[in-house]
Amino acid sequence: MADISLLAQAIDRGDMEKAVALTRAAAASGANPKDIIAKGLQAGMASVGEKFSSGEYFLPDMLMAARALKAALEVLKPMLEKTGIPTIGRVVIGTVEGDMHDIGKNVVATFLSGNGFEVFDLGLNVPVQKFVDEVKDKKPDILGMSALLTTTMPVFSKVIKALEQGGLRSSVKVIVGGAPVTQDYANYIGADGYAHDGGRAVPECRKLLGK
Amino acid sequence: MALTPKQQILAAARGQKLDKLPFGARIDVWYNYHSAHGTLPDKYKGWSQVDILRDQGAGVEVRFFAVTREEYRDMEVVETNDPPYITTEYRTPVGTVAKKEVFDTSEGPWIKYEMEKLFKSEKDYPVIKYVMEHTGAVANFEPYYKLREEVGEDGMVMTAAGGLWSPVQRVMREIIGYEQFFYELADRPARVEEMIEAVKDLERRKLRVGIECDLEIFNICANWSDDIQTPVFRKYFIPWFQEVSEFLHARGRLVMAHTDGEMRRLNRMFRETGIDIAEAITPAPQTLVSMKEFREQLGDGATIWGGIPSILFEPMYSDADFDAYIKNMFKEMAPGYRFIVGMGDNVPFDGDINRVGRVVELIDKYGRLPIQV
Ligand code: B1M
Repeated sequence: MADISLLAQAIDRGDMEKAVALTRAAAASGANPKDIIAKGLQAGMASVGEKFSSGEYFLPDMLMAARALKAALEVLKPMLEKTGIPTIGRVVIGTVEGDMHDIGKNVVATFLSGNGFEVFDLGLNVPVQKFVDEVKDKKPDILGMSALLTTTMPVFSKVIKALEQGGLRSSVKVIVGGAPVTQDYANYIGADGYAHDGGRAVPECRKLLGK
Repeated sequence: MALTPKQQILAAARGQKLDKLPFGARIDVWYNYHSAHGTLPDKYKGWSQVDILRDQGAGVEVRFFAVTREEYRDMEVVETNDPPYITTEYRTPVGTVAKKEVFDTSEGPWIKYEMEKLFKSEKDYPVIKYVMEHTGAVANFEPYYKLREEVGEDGMVMTAAGGLWSPVQRVMREIIGYEQFFYELADRPARVEEMIEAVKDLERRKLRVGIECDLEIFNICANWSDDIQTPVFRKYFIPWFQEVSEFLHARGRLVMAHTDGEMRRLNRMFRETGIDIAEAITPAPQTLVSMKEFREQLGDGATIWGGIPSILFEPMYSDADFDAYIKNMFKEMAPGYRFIVGMGDNVPFDGDINRVGRVVELIDKYGRLPIQV
């Protein structure tokens, strides 16, 4: 039986070749693909998240890990055709209207998808109505919004109000973040969650879903 | 005779001792928004931002892009304008590359963002290299001189010889995009380095033209964030900064970086760059670094310009919070030399413009140098 902890390590180090080889070996040895994902790939990504939050890792570390994870998942895809990749929950995420900063939002989206969330990324400069339409259409468990400017933070409230008006607010948890955003601000506008960085967004989203 | 605001800023930038903190304030985000929406306060309707800053009693900091312009040869550059998008195609004998930008200033900030980058895949390397090699630099001094005349002795027009973002930053941010940059650097480092070298050569050409303009301070880089740049800072950024700083210092000029991002893990390396001024310094609560830490980590060789994070101008903070923050910042920066009070990096559109005047009053009361704690 292949040692799945080595797979987690390969993801943590962003070693794509090794991650693919170890995934193949684990699958060939009969390991359950869901275990390979949870104990290998997601465990590795969780470790990257912690190191990113603590300041030990940087954007490229996260990017390399995400790429390794994606390649390893490709190996497992045929085995998961019937059941699909197991997900913890569905997230729609985007940077709010007027805001052209997407690096941080991409980090959050990557950590979430690398940790088992199904993520729909709407990109940047997303109009209020688009968020509402996507909540209606995709029926996510969580709506994530990012803003990097104090001038665009107020858009969070606009979206929350529009969700209320559309009768959608109770169907979705709202999490917000971005450099100028604080927990106090998130409480103030009635968001359900806040995370300071990409690594912390994962446990926060799990908490919101009680998982 | 008392020094003018411009002389004060330049003196602090050169490390000379003053008897009061200089102040160079930047308000273009606030100003552009309210001008575009017709919502400038009654008193300021029809005023220029320079006059508003004068009225507030503050030294002026305004931005001008660059004192050179790019000029292309042996290629066709076709621009298609479909507001708010501009698509630019570079048709060269070795192939075509294109970028799609959005440009708008009506919401306050100038928004210029490459929705589609010039680089899309490996086949674009030789074309982009060709574009860089066949781009020249020509003087664009007149608009800068005009703005400088408008500001006069009341402050500074901050500008650059060429690209606002050093060659590596231009490749990362504008040409390839941050994320793809790191993948390319991992997969094809030699090609990325070749591209950086081509952009460096172009920037050297701009510097040789720009040096003929008699500006005192050259801005050579902007918009770092330590999550992104730290791992490549020593290898790709510092040697360039050292080269440019040496070139400019030898000609009696000062060197500045617009350091408005999270600087936590970059501050100590900043000391190796040769850069004189770290401008738009943005401390906690907007980033994780306090002003005291900035002072310690950047060392006494660098002048700090900034210190007031833009969120402090927001209504979320009361006047009392604002005053307490400013007074504490002065203490943290004691004795206060090599420090120019300024914004990190602007007054937001819903900020209170009169807080600029409050800073002036607080400097008068508490900003005498050396600051006694
Ligand atoms: C859903 O749940 C969540 C949970 C957590 C979430 C989350 C969502 N979203 C983010 N997080 C969190 O997790 C992420 C990962 O750990 C983190 O994301 P971050 O984005 O914080 O971190 C990234 C990994 C790295 N950091 C970044 O990517 C941002 C770095 C800084 C330097 C920055 C950059 C790079 C840029 N900028 Co701009 N920029 C600055 C930034 C300074 C800073 N201190 O942040 C900031 C944000 N910019 C600012 C400004 C003023 C501007 N920028 C502008 C433009 C740009 C660039 C395009 C040049 C570029 C962005 C490129 C891009 N593709 O994103 C302009 C605005 C354009 C617009 N309309 O959006 C312009 C207005 C500049 C001008 N004068 O025109 C400032 C905002 C000030 C304010 N109070 O509003 C700024 C703080 C710099 C400063 N000190 O003044 C967390 O915040």
